Amino acid sequence: MRTIVDINSVEKSYGLTQVINHCSFKIFEGEIYGLLGINGAGKTTLMKMILGLQQIDRGSIYVLGQKVSNNPEYLSNIGSVIENPTFYEHLNARELLSMHLCYMQKKADISEILHLVGLENADKKTISEYSLGMKQRLSLARAIIHHPKLLILDEPLNGLDPIAISEMRGLMKKLTNEGISILLSSHIIGEVRHTADRIGILSDGYIKQEFSVKEKISEFGEHFEDYVIRLMRREQI
Amino acid sequence: MNLYKLELMKIKLSTYLWAIFGVFVSLLALGILFLFIFQIEAGRSGTSEEELFANWNGLLALTTTLSFAFFSVLSAVIATKVIISEYCGKNVVILLSYPVNRKTILRTKCLIVSGITTISAFISNILVIGIMYISAHIFKIMPQMNTKYFVFTVFLSSFFMSILSSAVGIISTTFGWRKHSSVSTIVCSLIIVCTLANCITISLSSIIWVMFVISAVFVIIANFIYHILANGIEKMEV
Repeated sequence: MRTIVDINSVEKSYGLTQVINHCSFKIFEGEIYGLLGINGAGKTTLMKMILGLQQIDRGSIYVLGQKVSNNPEYLSNIGSVIENPTFYEHLNARELLSMHLCYMQKKADISEILHLVGLENADKKTISEYSLGMKQRLSLARAIIHHPKLLILDEPLNGLDPIAISEMRGLMKKLTNEGISILLSSHIIGEVRHTADRIGILSDGYIKQEFSVKEKISEFGEHFEDYVIRLMRREQI
Repeated sequence: MNLYKLELMKIKLSTYLWAIFGVFVSLLALGILFLFIFQIEAGRSGTSEEELFANWNGLLALTTTLSFAFFSVLSAVIATKVIISEYCGKNVVILLSYPVNRKTILRTKCLIVSGITTISAFISNILVIGIMYISAHIFKIMPQMNTKYFVFTVFLSSFFMSILSSAVGIISTTFGWRKHSSVSTIVCSLIIVCTLANCITISLSSIIWVMFVISAVFVIIANFIYHILANGIEKMEV
């Protein structure tokens, strides 16, 4: 299987605090990789390093064989929703996506994407009138409209109602069927369990354990979440 | 060209155009007031300040200085929206994720701020002084100057003043960015304006040379400071 993301012995410190410590993992084409960790484990930092928004102290990150950088070719292959997404609230969804496409130097059918995320009837409203859930959908639309090869989603289901969560999961599966790889972070096990193909537990700054969700569910059954919690608590298993 | 259009989409340009119109009306009102001050107060106070309103050199310096002050602060205000709020707010994550060179985006933003400031300050100052001159001619309240020389002086001093205003805007932006604060940007512009406004009026008869020297010095400083800002944003972590 083709490797999309290759993270190799990455380290990152803020002052004396080492946030990421010899972290390594790979994401393959068309898979959803769930990054699980407690608050402050370094999930967002790791995602920002892949996007080139944070410098790497040591180690290397490659996306599609290209080393992490600010160069346009590298960034045009990545779509992201990091932290709480923000918008230019005086614009409507169509204007925002059109602006985003211009920045990404790509062309796409905006109506199709808005339909895909369920915002086809709200495209004329200014974003300031959107609910939190609609903003989450719009952020996803913005992340995928330029047909990235890698999608980085930092807690993308925050603020969504159960129906929207279910739709969003379906959408993520659909995207992976089109060959997009997804790096999904969360601290909610259920969220990742139902979406990811593989899970990496980020603890003490590195991937403490990595496993296939299907395999572990068949092994632990209904105790799957307990197993993951123990890993996140840094208990030896 | 596309980047300029994209950056302009992010702001409500009409808000700033109304602000510029407001500044123009205020300057015009003050300019007309200056015209009549000497007529009302002539010979009463006997102070040297009275001389400032007695001839076109004084009025030109006064009006141009006020324009400089107003437009420098306005430039800082526009910069807080176009630059500071982008790089110091939450939008920075998406802004720095775009596959466009960081320095190119910053240069576009700075040119938008400088362009709006320079054009509006230049046109506004010429219009204000032009309307004052025509009013003085109609009411025959000031000694007339050689029109060609007057136009030349107004044109050049307005040009240097507008360049100086945008340079102050860029310098203030860099300080605001370092402090991650919109307030610091505006306060910095106010401090520079207060200092420079006194320098502009040191020689009323040679305002063109004074404006030229000050604007040349500040353009060099702004250029140097812009590079500090650009390098900072190039290495910026969010």
